[in-house]
Amino acid sequence: MLLLQSEIASILLNGLQQGAIYALLGIGLTIILGTMEFLNLAHGALYLVGAYVGLIVFQETTLTNGFLYSIGITSLGFDGGFLAAIVLVPVIGFGIGLLMERFVAEPFYDRPETDQLLVTFGLALIVEETIKNVIGGNTFQSIAPSTLFGVNVSQPVSLPFVGLFPSWRLLIIVITFFVIGVTYLAIERTDFGLVVQAGTRDSEMVRLLGIKINRSYSLVFALGAALAAFAGLIGASIQTISPQIGTTQALVPAFLTIVVGGAGSVRGAIAGGMVLGLIISAMTQTYSQWAQIVLYLFVALMLVFRPQGLFGTAEVGE
Amino acid sequence: MSSDAPEQSADATETEAQSTAAEAAAEAAAAHAEEAAAAVAEGDHLLSMEAVDAYYGQSHILRDLSMHVEEGEVCALLGRNGAGKTTTLRSIAGARPPDVRDGTVSFKGENITERSTEDISSLGISLVPEERRVFPNLTVEENLHLSDVARNWSNTFGRDVSMDHPGMTTAEVYEVFPRLEERASQKAGTLSGGEQQMLAIARALKQDTDLLMLDEPYEGLAPQIIETVEDAIEQIAEKGTTILLVEQNAVAAMNIADRAYVVDQGSIVFAGDSEELRADERTRERYLGV
Repeated sequence: MLLLQSEIASILLNGLQQGAIYALLGIGLTIILGTMEFLNLAHGALYLVGAYVGLIVFQETTLTNGFLYSIGITSLGFDGGFLAAIVLVPVIGFGIGLLMERFVAEPFYDRPETDQLLVTFGLALIVEETIKNVIGGNTFQSIAPSTLFGVNVSQPVSLPFVGLFPSWRLLIIVITFFVIGVTYLAIERTDFGLVVQAGTRDSEMVRLLGIKINRSYSLVFALGAALAAFAGLIGASIQTISPQIGTTQALVPAFLTIVVGGAGSVRGAIAGGMVLGLIISAMTQTYSQWAQIVLYLFVALMLVFRPQGLFGTAEVGE
Repeated sequence: MSSDAPEQSADATETEAQSTAAEAAAEAAAAHAEEAAAAVAEGDHLLSMEAVDAYYGQSHILRDLSMHVEEGEVCALLGRNGAGKTTTLRSIAGARPPDVRDGTVSFKGENITERSTEDISSLGISLVPEERRVFPNLTVEENLHLSDVARNWSNTFGRDVSMDHPGMTTAEVYEVFPRLEERASQKAGTLSGGEQQMLAIARALKQDTDLLMLDEPYEGLAPQIIETVEDAIEQIAEKGTTILLVEQNAVAAMNIADRAYVVDQGSIVFAGDSEELRADERTRERYLGV
């Protein structure tokens, strides 16, 4: 099949957009795995929480219904609400991350990996079932705002080489890359990041240098959780929302991302996310029914021929 | 290192045959330990270990081990592979495992047995571990900067780090190891074994260290590099930093140590100054194979 130039361009853009969400998820998972050697199967639950907080904000801020309508504010709408959610969701994720680290993860740091998997998987199920019971198991439409800062983001824009491309998706690329960039700088350019990077390789040696890495642990966990929740909000703005997405749209892709990128590597998570995003995007545009098969086959081949991933040095799970 | 493995197993059989002699030596050491205990009461020693029992899981590694290190000296802890040297250092540094189930470790008169690794490090004990353990994903400069981070964070979080021997600056450690300055922006993982050893020592020197513990600093190094590292250690010792040097290579260690302990099967079997150990052929042959 011959692809038009515009098709290739839109594969790239869609790939970047999906890849950025995978990267957000992968960064959180990989820094928690790398620093604390803690496998967090509840990572997808944080994505789920982010998506549903976004949904609740959406429901409460619409022009015809919800909390704001009931108290007489009818002019703000979800467009203002989405801005609120962009701030609120990472903060909530951060808080949940701190609590999770203290009460769920910390007691299990010295326990076998199977125990960590069981407790975090259990937590993921609890979150999923709670959402089913409280909000319902039904599927909701995605919750993209129609305008942001007065700019219409619901209409496609015309791009060179690409042609028409949804402006909201374009904006998502900008927002997510900004967040990824800030996170990357925080890890690469600050003392906190230096300790985290050192800790991903040899946390005992960091402690032997007199650095209280436990404090960094809570911060790392909270940061990872905030990124996952943020990814959930972004994901919810382009994909349907249901209680299963924590696993299908977040946990599994996050693991695939760090398998491709290399466990413990932030750069790897970014690169891994992009590679997977591009594969998905290319397959969806061409042979969409083969997308999942090709995706998993690719990751399986990575595991066989480059188990340390693109940027990792140790094998996953080592 | 691999070349002397067969020799070690031969020694082990020999040791078993002479276990009564070892016990006698251990008794002598125990007497020495009592003496040490008396001195601790007066707060004389920089570091002292009193009747420490340490375990790795179910294995009893350190058995009633007692030793002390005086301010300003270079003290060697010798013994063959598996004798308990590294376990001793890890017990002092608060690294777990081993699990210290009995006995006390004191530093500057303070009981540090139960203190965390971070606290013990902040109190002024630095460990240069056997495998060097520089951070391969960080540059030389970043590896060194971590010691500054440790100090800054300790200060920020309200710890009083008034040390007798404040750490060197990066410029000062580059004077000791000019090679590291040339490699400053290189990832530590790309350094040679000797350079990594220099970096591991340099990193410890940047800490506010009153007791520098070196675990087999010469292991796996080429002869000229050993000389460089040896010179550096001597330079550090001359500046008054107390050093506890663990070595399998007894000859190299005795070159720079004032005093030595010999450890075997987790207990001290010899304590004395380097001259005494040189003269004590039986101890050297039995426990050190030299």
